[in-house]
Amino acid sequence: MADNHLLLTNLEERHDFDVAWPRDFHAQEPGVTAVLRVKNEARSLPWVLPPLFEAVQKIVVVDNQSDDGTPDVARAVAEQVGAAERLTVTAYPFGVSRCGAEHLATPEASIHNLAYFYNWSFAHVDTAYSMKWDGDMVLTREGIETFADLSWQLESVEAVIAMPRHPLFVESDRVAYLDVYMVNIEEYVFPMGEEYRHVKAYEWEMRMVPRRARRVRLPEGLCVELKYLDSDEFDHWDGQDAFGATPRTMRKLREWEVFHALKEGRADEVEGVVRIEAPADYDHVISYVTQSWLPRQSRPVIVPLDQRPGYVATEESAPATR
Amino acid sequence: MLEQVPVEADSDKLTDEDLAMSATPGATDTRRKVVLVAGSGRSGTSLMSGILKHMGMHVPEPEVVADATNPKGFGEPRWVVDFHETLLKRVNVHTADARPSAWFDAGRAGTRELNRTELTTWLEEQFTHSDSLVIKDPRISWFLGLWRVAAVRSGASTRTITMLRPPAEVVGSKNAYYGGRQGDISRLAGWTNVMLCTERATRGSARSFVRYHDLLDDWTKTVVRLGEELDLAEVGEAGTGKMQEVHSFVDPQLRRVRATWDDLSVPDPLREVAQATWEQLNQIAEPGGDTPEAHAALDDMRRAYGAVYADAEALANSSVVAAGPAFLRATRQARAAQAEAEAAAAFEAASPMRKTYLRTRRAGGRVKRRLQNRGE
Repeated sequence: MADNHLLLTNLEERHDFDVAWPRDFHAQEPGVTAVLRVKNEARSLPWVLPPLFEAVQKIVVVDNQSDDGTPDVARAVAEQVGAAERLTVTAYPFGVSRCGAEHLATPEASIHNLAYFYNWSFAHVDTAYSMKWDGDMVLTREGIETFADLSWQLESVEAVIAMPRHPLFVESDRVAYLDVYMVNIEEYVFPMGEEYRHVKAYEWEMRMVPRRARRVRLPEGLCVELKYLDSDEFDHWDGQDAFGATPRTMRKLREWEVFHALKEGRADEVEGVVRIEAPADYDHVISYVTQSWLPRQSRPVIVPLDQRPGYVATEESAPATR
Repeated sequence: MLEQVPVEADSDKLTDEDLAMSATPGATDTRRKVVLVAGSGRSGTSLMSGILKHMGMHVPEPEVVADATNPKGFGEPRWVVDFHETLLKRVNVHTADARPSAWFDAGRAGTRELNRTELTTWLEEQFTHSDSLVIKDPRISWFLGLWRVAAVRSGASTRTITMLRPPAEVVGSKNAYYGGRQGDISRLAGWTNVMLCTERATRGSARSFVRYHDLLDDWTKTVVRLGEELDLAEVGEAGTGKMQEVHSFVDPQLRRVRATWDDLSVPDPLREVAQATWEQLNQIAEPGGDTPEAHAALDDMRRAYGAVYADAEALANSSVVAAGPAFLRATRQARAAQAEAEAAAAFEAASPMRKTYLRTRRAGGRVKRRLQNRGE
């Protein structure tokens, strides 16, 4: 192993899955690589990957035990948009502990720990910057412009980029619902390097960031997170109690409530959800939302806390991460 | 993302139709378009903006008034110049900033919701006057992303025209018309930084590179090609009346400064990267020249320039450190002087009645202080 990489080994002694983590992001090739850790995202990737290829230099898709053909779909989409050479598809064949108590009980150096899984996944990045991305996150037109600029403007600085994202509950090809009460801001873009490794947090992994790093928070309206109402996305959860009640997990609870209300036809019972119907000249409501509706929506998109019914001034705001 | 319990394999595999559907290009209002004219100052950006205006495109009003440095007019909307200047001041970047890191600072201003909203609001207002806008300002290179975002929000498409002129001529022209403290080296460094990053910022979008000399030699040939490349109906469908207007507007004598490298005093590494940048941008300006190979070469040059700049910065580190306190002192003095000037201007602008009131109040204050002093 070259001196410019840090070796991370695992408790299970699977040396074929050791991690070679770059020590210095300056030594990496310029640019940004998006890393998607995915499981059964074949349905979403055709929406997710094309805008992402417009925004960043490279994409790494790490498949974790999909059985819906996710890796093949990733390759097909990349081929279709002429970006096959910018895509790396790889597989992580181990079960990874679920967020929450199971994660807490799993040692960080285990191949089953989220932090280890993330470090292994991101170690495939050979650019100076990495972008954490999910297999159901779709950039809007405005989001593409924003990240495409950042992908080269970051060349001369050391910075971490945070962004709010908006849950989009897709009912059909024509209709979707946007949750405008959800405040969900996370850091997505990080330099590579020894000081930016993933470590274990309480419910899930987190990334270390040195104090000297500059921070940028991007505006709203750049990204939606797809939730299909005809899927069983939340059915494997036992119920609302499984989410816990810490500020960090309240977002999951809101998602669960909105998802089930919409799925059960109780949209009128949920505050802060906007129904969007695609006009006839759009092929799909996801296209409409990302290309036109969201970019042209007046700001702020997320309804400020003090403008919501029942707001109490002393109340804590929604969680700032995850 | 959440860990999920495995589900049964979906029997409805994705079809080619599904894949095609997801790649559908974004919809914009095809009527609305913004042509952004970028490039270093003194490179013919005003000329290009003026030509497009004569062709029937709209330059938002009021425009910056012509002066001796640009007798034919700037073709610049006043609001845009003020907007860009304000943003640049906020992020401590100047028009021809030579620092590679300045792009991140300016880009950061472009990501602020306040600025996106302000520009979008202004742009929407301009579209009530015309669907075809021309926006030119030498500062625009720093905010091309912000303009594209505002256009997306307005349902408009953008095209960028980048004007090219040999760097030695640009520096010579700036020396001749602007003078000031900046010398050959910092002006050439600024040109290199701005041109390399303007190219990077426009890559992948609808764009054209136009040589100033070509425009002066034969504007018809250059403009027709531009109209085709950028799908500008105003150019393609221009009648003889408009052509006559442009002929009257374009003055081949505009190229008054013809400096060469021999006229500049610059270090070799900087001259080499500037010359290589110029040559590569010239290749891109040729039909079919905007290729991945050219982009890769320009990426290398951008990084080479970054290395040259980093070396210079390291070499001058003692000066940078020493300049810190002096800079703060100068900033404080400048702010005080500005506040004083603004107060004086406000007084001048005040009505005679208010002037009388202020004079009386000051006189009253003086009397009061004298009486207080006597009492002590």
